[in-house]
Amino acid sequence: MKLLFTLTGSQLEALALSAGEKLVYCVPADLAYEMTGAAGENGTPNAKVDLAKEPTAQAADRYETDVFIAVTNRRLVVLSGDKVTYQKELKDCEKVRCEHQVGCGIITVMTLAESNENIIGEGVEECVARVSMRQIVRASYAIRGAQAIVKSLKECGDAEKAEQITSSEYETYCEKCGRALPNTSACPYCEGKMVIAKKFMNLCGGFIGKLLLISLSMLVIAAMDIARPMVQRWFIDDALSTGRGKWADLGVFVGISFALLIGAILLSVWKNLACIKLGSALSMSLREKLYVKIQILSLSFINKRKPGELMNRVSRDTGRIREFFEEVFGYMFSTLLTMIISLVVMFMISPVMTGLSLMFVIVVFVLMKIFWHHIHTIFSRQWMKSDELSNSIQDIISGMRIVKTFGTEDREAARFTEKARDYAKTQSRNETFWAVFFPILTFLLGCGTYVAVLFGGRDVLVGKMTMGQLVQFMTYSGYLFGPLGWMTHLPRMVMQMVTSLNRIYDVLDEEPRIKDRDGSKEIAIKGHFQFEKVCFGYNTYEPVLEDVSFEVQPGEMIGLVGASGTGKSTMINLIMRLYDPDQGRIVLDGVDLRDVKVESLHSQIGVVLQETFLFSGTILDNIRFAKPTATLAEVIQAAKAANAHDFICKTPDGYNTYVGEHGYNLSGGERQRVAIARAILNNPKLLILDEATSSLDTESEFLIQQALNRLIEGRTTFAIAHRLSTLREANRLIVIDKHSIAEMGSHNELLERKGIYYGLVTAQLRMAEGRPGSEEKEVATA
Amino acid sequence: MSEEMDLLDLNMDDDFDEEALKKESEELLEMRFITKDNATFARTEGGFVSLKFGDKEYKRVGVYLTFPLTNPEEYISIREADEKAKEIGMVEDIKQLPKDQQEMLREQIRLRYFMPVIKKIMEIKEEYGYAYWHVETSFGMCRFTTHMSGDVVVSLSDARLLVKDIDGNRYEIPDFYALGVQEKKKLDLFI
Repeated sequence: MKLLFTLTGSQLEALALSAGEKLVYCVPADLAYEMTGAAGENGTPNAKVDLAKEPTAQAADRYETDVFIAVTNRRLVVLSGDKVTYQKELKDCEKVRCEHQVGCGIITVMTLAESNENIIGEGVEECVARVSMRQIVRASYAIRGAQAIVKSLKECGDAEKAEQITSSEYETYCEKCGRALPNTSACPYCEGKMVIAKKFMNLCGGFIGKLLLISLSMLVIAAMDIARPMVQRWFIDDALSTGRGKWADLGVFVGISFALLIGAILLSVWKNLACIKLGSALSMSLREKLYVKIQILSLSFINKRKPGELMNRVSRDTGRIREFFEEVFGYMFSTLLTMIISLVVMFMISPVMTGLSLMFVIVVFVLMKIFWHHIHTIFSRQWMKSDELSNSIQDIISGMRIVKTFGTEDREAARFTEKARDYAKTQSRNETFWAVFFPILTFLLGCGTYVAVLFGGRDVLVGKMTMGQLVQFMTYSGYLFGPLGWMTHLPRMVMQMVTSLNRIYDVLDEEPRIKDRDGSKEIAIKGHFQFEKVCFGYNTYEPVLEDVSFEVQPGEMIGLVGASGTGKSTMINLIMRLYDPDQGRIVLDGVDLRDVKVESLHSQIGVVLQETFLFSGTILDNIRFAKPTATLAEVIQAAKAANAHDFICKTPDGYNTYVGEHGYNLSGGERQRVAIARAILNNPKLLILDEATSSLDTESEFLIQQALNRLIEGRTTFAIAHRLSTLREANRLIVIDKHSIAEMGSHNELLERKGIYYGLVTAQLRMAEGRPGSEEKEVATA
Repeated sequence: MSEEMDLLDLNMDDDFDEEALKKESEELLEMRFITKDNATFARTEGGFVSLKFGDKEYKRVGVYLTFPLTNPEEYISIREADEKAKEIGMVEDIKQLPKDQQEMLREQIRLRYFMPVIKKIMEIKEEYGYAYWHVETSFGMCRFTTHMSGDVVVSLSDARLLVKDIDGNRYEIPDFYALGVQEKKKLDLFI
């Protein structure tokens, strides 16, 4: 993403860069923020506002097109047109921020002010610019860059040492044509119009031979179709109407016609079968590619889309491609070819009659053109409705328990019925439209034939045309008009195919954000971790972790503690490299995590997550998930370690018990134990426990704790737990608060410090004590 | 368990301020109203508002709407300006405040909330799975892009619609029925 926009000459002049000063970031601010009487208008930095005068800086309801926030290595400047409306020396700033508001963002500058016990709030804050969501990501990056300069000026007085902020995020709009970019770095439209053709060729890649063979057979079929009326004409003119015809002529005619017909039919059958095979093979290979791709793509891509939508792309859009090959592709070329040749021959027989027939064809096409937009709109709407419908099924089924516990089945059923009816209504309206529109077209086309017969018949009567020619003309006009009805469908079918193709390639072309770089390597993890100034946010403008740095020695167990939503799970997502940090880096055994082969990393991590997901399959399959080659003894060993062996033995089918959607119902604690067994089977070098024992009763937890304690020996372990007793064995605890590390140290060190951790521990003990006899210590930390 | 043992040695009863915790949880539950009698808002130099509330003074406060779409001038939550944004109190109805302070809060709301109102739809063009809108809004002429899916236009009520673009900006159509025939037709794709 571009963070340094080019300024015009007069803007640069207004910026008045001093010697040694250079522009580092320059981004647009697209919402008006008026600062009349604010600092800087007279050009002096830090000019104070006349306090006697009421300050009037405020947001105005207006878009701006030429306001820029410019950050140099010395100043932060807001330029409006070629006037400086605000500027501040960065060395005088305490903090510059891009604050996320609702639907917009504001840029604030904080300067230090004398503190006072009774007055709450640090420093003096000024709002200097406002951006809409369109520019907020860019502005956040630039302002983060400015903050890095502020910090570096504070630390060593040298702006050059500040980290240069770059953004790997994609632009949302193409700079050249202004079209939205489908999450790609390059604009598919600006790449050229051949792209669709290229995608289609790509699609057919491995099937070129078959495709050529089908095309060839289509040519032969077309030739046979064209030849039959020729034979017919010869027979009528030379044998029938002269009166000199012999029995032998009849025999020859019937023989040739029959042979041509049978040949064409047989070839058609073969061609259709080949098309069906090709379509199935293509859609299957696409489905595979899509599935694989969706798995490769980082979570950020999948999280942005609804499951229903992705499912549709895998199943429905690939189905459309198959339909296209079965129903359209096989006929398209042969039909078009037959039509063109028929037209040429017709023209040779009688230009007038051809012209008359064509008039009707033109009428039909004009009608199609007029209704095209409407047809396109109503079918797009139908797709959207069907997307919506499948989403709502997904929604209701996943939330079934909630629906039932609140007893709102009827209401949900009514809501679904309404949606289903809505879809049915749209669909039936669309089909009705076709049912009326299509016969009208057919009627108009039929009219053409009758008019031609009228004129042709007259010509035969006056002897300007032979009988055979008329019959031949009629047959050809049948060739021309017959498929025209089908041809009117053609644009719709091609359009459907193109849309589906685009939707599929939208996923296939998506560059995974997390991928192996050139030269990334496999490493055997020892477990030394180093976080270096890591910043991360799921949305760039809302940081979840800010400037997090710490080091972990191999074999250490680190407990992550903090209130909900502070970023503990996010930290673990970064360690597992499900996301890459926005800034800073994570170093594993001296190698940047981004340089480690993703597969090599993941194969050495054992994970037990808060939500335990078991796949449909047996318990054995689930435990063996990470290591399908594990022996039965190893599986039992792992299950024993996870304290799962006993309950598994008690199920009727033992390790062969089928779990998952339609299988045996395991309790939350049982699922968790299976998940733990799954994690430890692989003998991972790195262990991640995210609330791994939260659904267990105290006894089981104790037993698993014992197992885990054995397990974590010699492995670097990161554990999150709300129940602090779970983290008893941790070498060090990291308390996360306000997006960064608040406290770090051993259990005892933190207790002595009497900070946040101390508060959490005492609160939990208090609550446990407050309920004598209750064994449960499951407490929500404040 | 062993941990509890060494914790009990800490003699925590002296340090652990249960009262404070209880007070905090009660504060969370309490409905505190900010009225013209107990508080004064004032504009700050930097374009925000400050608040004197009881014996406390806040250099900058956040103005959060609790029902931004249905009741934008009622139950306005006034919060601390830092990361935690702890609630200071609520303004039950902005109209109960003195005129000048009402104005200040409205300015803050205008700064914090951005949702242009679509006045006129000039064009909606569909291309490759995106819809390109050209509209006149309360902020001036605007071009934006949305995905082509059913959740782009959300109905808030029978006639009131919200449009969400690919960047996450939201646009309001206050009354669908007040649009011209041509404009309604352009919206057909989404409704």
